[in-house]
Amino acid sequence: MKAGHTIAQDWFRSKDWQPHEFQEKCWDAIGKGYSGLLNAPTGYGKTYALWFGILQDYLNKKKQPPGLHCLWITPLRALSKEILNATQRVSADLGANYTIGMRTGDTSVKERTQQKKNMPHALITTPESVHLLLAQKGYESMFKNLQFVVVDEWHELLGNKRGVLIELALSRLKAINPKLKVWGISATIGNLEEAKDILLGSDDVKQTLVRAKIEKKIVVETFLPDVIEKYPWAGHLGITMLPKVLDVIHKSSSTLIFTNTRSQCEIWYQRLLQEDPSLAGIIALHHGSLSEEIRQWVENALHNGTLKAVVCTSSLDLGVDFRPVDTVIQIGSAKGVARFMQRAGRSGHQPGATSTIHFLPTHSLEIIEGSALRHAIKHNEIEQRIPYIRSFDVLIQYLVTLAISEGFFPDKIYEEVIKTHCYSSITREEFNWCLDFITQGGKMLDAYDEFHKVVIENGLYKVTSRRVAMRHRLGIGVIVSDSMLQVKFLGGTRLGLVEEYFVSRLKPGDVFSFAGRMVEFVRIKEMTVYVRKSTKSKGYSVSWQGGRMPLSSQLSKTIRYKLDEYYNKGHRDIELQKLERLFDEQQRRSHLPHKTELLIEKVKTREGYHVFIYPFEGRNVHEGLSALFAYRIAQVHPMSFSLAFNDYGFELLSDQEIPIEEALGNDLLDNLNLADDIQKSVNISEMAKRKFRDIASIAGLVFTGYPGKQVKTRHVQANSQLFFSVFEEHEKDNLLLRQAYDEVFTFQMEQMRMYEALERMQHQNVIIQYLEQLSPFCFPILTERFRDKLSNEKLEDRIEKMIKQLEQ
Amino acid sequence: MQVTLAGHLFSFLPERALYKHDESLLVIADVHLGKASHFRKHGISIPATSQAEDYTKLRKLLDKTKPEKVYFLGDLFHSSLNSDWHAFAALVESYPGLCFTLIKGNHDIIDYKFFDKLCIDVSDKALTEGPFIYSHEPLQPTGNDKLNIAGHIHPGILLRGMGKQSLRLPCFHLSGNTLLLPAFGTLTGLYMMDMDQHNKVYAVLPGEVKKLN
Repeated sequence: MKAGHTIAQDWFRSKDWQPHEFQEKCWDAIGKGYSGLLNAPTGYGKTYALWFGILQDYLNKKKQPPGLHCLWITPLRALSKEILNATQRVSADLGANYTIGMRTGDTSVKERTQQKKNMPHALITTPESVHLLLAQKGYESMFKNLQFVVVDEWHELLGNKRGVLIELALSRLKAINPKLKVWGISATIGNLEEAKDILLGSDDVKQTLVRAKIEKKIVVETFLPDVIEKYPWAGHLGITMLPKVLDVIHKSSSTLIFTNTRSQCEIWYQRLLQEDPSLAGIIALHHGSLSEEIRQWVENALHNGTLKAVVCTSSLDLGVDFRPVDTVIQIGSAKGVARFMQRAGRSGHQPGATSTIHFLPTHSLEIIEGSALRHAIKHNEIEQRIPYIRSFDVLIQYLVTLAISEGFFPDKIYEEVIKTHCYSSITREEFNWCLDFITQGGKMLDAYDEFHKVVIENGLYKVTSRRVAMRHRLGIGVIVSDSMLQVKFLGGTRLGLVEEYFVSRLKPGDVFSFAGRMVEFVRIKEMTVYVRKSTKSKGYSVSWQGGRMPLSSQLSKTIRYKLDEYYNKGHRDIELQKLERLFDEQQRRSHLPHKTELLIEKVKTREGYHVFIYPFEGRNVHEGLSALFAYRIAQVHPMSFSLAFNDYGFELLSDQEIPIEEALGNDLLDNLNLADDIQKSVNISEMAKRKFRDIASIAGLVFTGYPGKQVKTRHVQANSQLFFSVFEEHEKDNLLLRQAYDEVFTFQMEQMRMYEALERMQHQNVIIQYLEQLSPFCFPILTERFRDKLSNEKLEDRIEKMIKQLEQ
Repeated sequence: MQVTLAGHLFSFLPERALYKHDESLLVIADVHLGKASHFRKHGISIPATSQAEDYTKLRKLLDKTKPEKVYFLGDLFHSSLNSDWHAFAALVESYPGLCFTLIKGNHDIIDYKFFDKLCIDVSDKALTEGPFIYSHEPLQPTGNDKLNIAGHIHPGILLRGMGKQSLRLPCFHLSGNTLLLPAFGTLTGLYMMDMDQHNKVYAVLPGEVKKLN
């Protein structure tokens, strides 16, 4: 084994570096034939911790078999490039005959053909590209000698369907070579052990979890407003603290400013420039809807240190390190501890350096999150990533993928897929349903030839139509993008993408700000929006749809804990000191709840009768709870409700007095019949319909178009919605339909969390306050624009009341 | 509810249709038959039960009012000829004594020969009869003091109540010389109209029509 250390140690010595303990542990484990998961922060040489082990394995072999030896999978193309450079440098330094190639969506056809003829020893790639390789004829011989698969940033992939792509690919690769070793690299998450088990599988192989015991120091600074208003309204506070942000920008060499939405990103960029024109040219913006060229330019400029600040979204959460960045600002709630830490980690890359992150609350209540985040980071309370299970859409896609290349025998593939975490619970009947689906279109679509994709020849399932194969290849992957239109200058320069619905409201001559400039809408032609530069200084802000992230359970728990500190007259965080006046006011007008209390406020205004409830559980859970409570209350007495919610609480509003006291005595908080009551109260089918859109697209039920000739998504939507209605009506047990509902319950309603919240509320003391004036807590909920409805009154009665009001 | 317009007695029916008593004339706008089949034809398989409701509704209405003639104010069919035609033909043929007239709308692209076979009169232009002009799109301006009865718009009205309650209802909308009829079809949307002292709004409720202002 010591031989293994030699290469690495020689190389480290030549660089005058000292290997970390975790690196040596990994080399050792790989040398002994282990699979494993490495938990290490970025910037400490996690790539080399695995790379030298793999390289050593190859060089130690007496007879080195030809072909692919290692597959290195990353979630981002940009990361692939960085890994390629780092590993090629090692091969060059050592003069080792170990070639490394890259295979992503950007790889040219020429390069791909070359790779097919002569595979490098290691291939750096993405989950989607691996599946494209599985769709190639002869993939089995390509992977025959594969020894290692490394999955980089596994925590990023685990919580979405790209993780399922990895699980499926691994099940196939392990079947081709049972001796395959799998390694993952993950940042710290709440369920690290589970993450390891999912990646490595249940096979009886040697497994290990290596934790780098390196604490990256993170300092959280909260921007505090000079004055605290009594009525905290959303969004208002952020901009008023803009001068403080500018101050930090000027004091730093390079700053990343994270916003939560693309529109917020555009707005902050504009406002910073307006406030300080001297930033022109040295400030930029970066988000997922900007063109590749613009983003590339910004990233390069960040690398070279020519930018003073970049306003960005989660588009820069991941990816290569920008060395010059020394400061990070988070605008508005980060919604989760892990995400906040990830963003904090985008500064201070030098080993041992401290990452400082400034948190800018956008309304005064949010100030408490600064304190809560600091607490959670200190106590390492980080969210779990919930893996997808039973994703039949991805399975169907995978089966067609295999049918395109070599074809498959169902018995064999079934044995393989049930070994994955995602599909461990599917029955043979369910698997057979998927087979029927790809061969006959299932029960409903039998009459349509286009859904007979796969044919059976002597028991082998294969695709014989070139057209089906080509369409399928284009659709491989699980990221379903919204329908977007290209925005281009008349001269042809691409700016980025906007959503169809935004453009549909524009008239020629209208001005909007996009990609940081003011542009005038000229015309729209073939999915392209043509614009010209505008000299106007005001215009529409582009908005993008997309769900708002709820507060994570970790963060909400910590906030509840921090609220309690108000009563603790000892040491208090600076944020809590600042909030004292607001909390005093809350206490005076209503009550500030202890951890052991559930606060309910009742108030009557011109608008009607309000009830506010504060579980502090995040907006998704509150959305569910508000509908559930409204439903349960209306069982006693027919009522109509308007429902609003934010991350801290929710509101029931009605035109008549809400008998909450009576309802509380009537099992309002009960967990019995929860699933049933949710079904009846929330428009689950509407939510499921939206989820089904992605599912239909992944399963290949709807075709999103050839490159450059995208089918308008409105059409796709209509398609998937109609499929949804058909299945809903005629094939209730359709697995894709069931999956849509399961996804709503697990990810949208967060049913588990709702259950736990009710459980907790049952044991809290309920404090009902009858308010004369609005309280600081209820104000931001009252002003929420987005509202749900629930009514079980007779339509005639409701109309009657409204007409009466008309007559007044 | 009954209303007298230009000296003639009319009923606004909650089935979203207009009935003229002296002539025993039933006026129906925007049925949009075959909309579901139209989607189906473009690659989507949909068993259209919602559409079946429209036929049932239509039959019930004919049986209830027993009119002598029926005017369709355009957009009878959503698009080109499809299997829905047979259902429609069967319906028409089961009322042999009834005179049907279609005043063409923007969606009506089916060749008049097909209507001819069913003995349905087709008019490309608005139909003027006494003080009334029947058309698909509302005429602008009406040009004279005749009352224009039209469809096309799918008028609706937004009602608001305490506690941020709101409801959208289809309506009959009378403004100046124009009376807009609600769309008959189930698979149709609503266009929200204003309500002020210059117009009159009759909301369609389940089972009754109610004047709002």
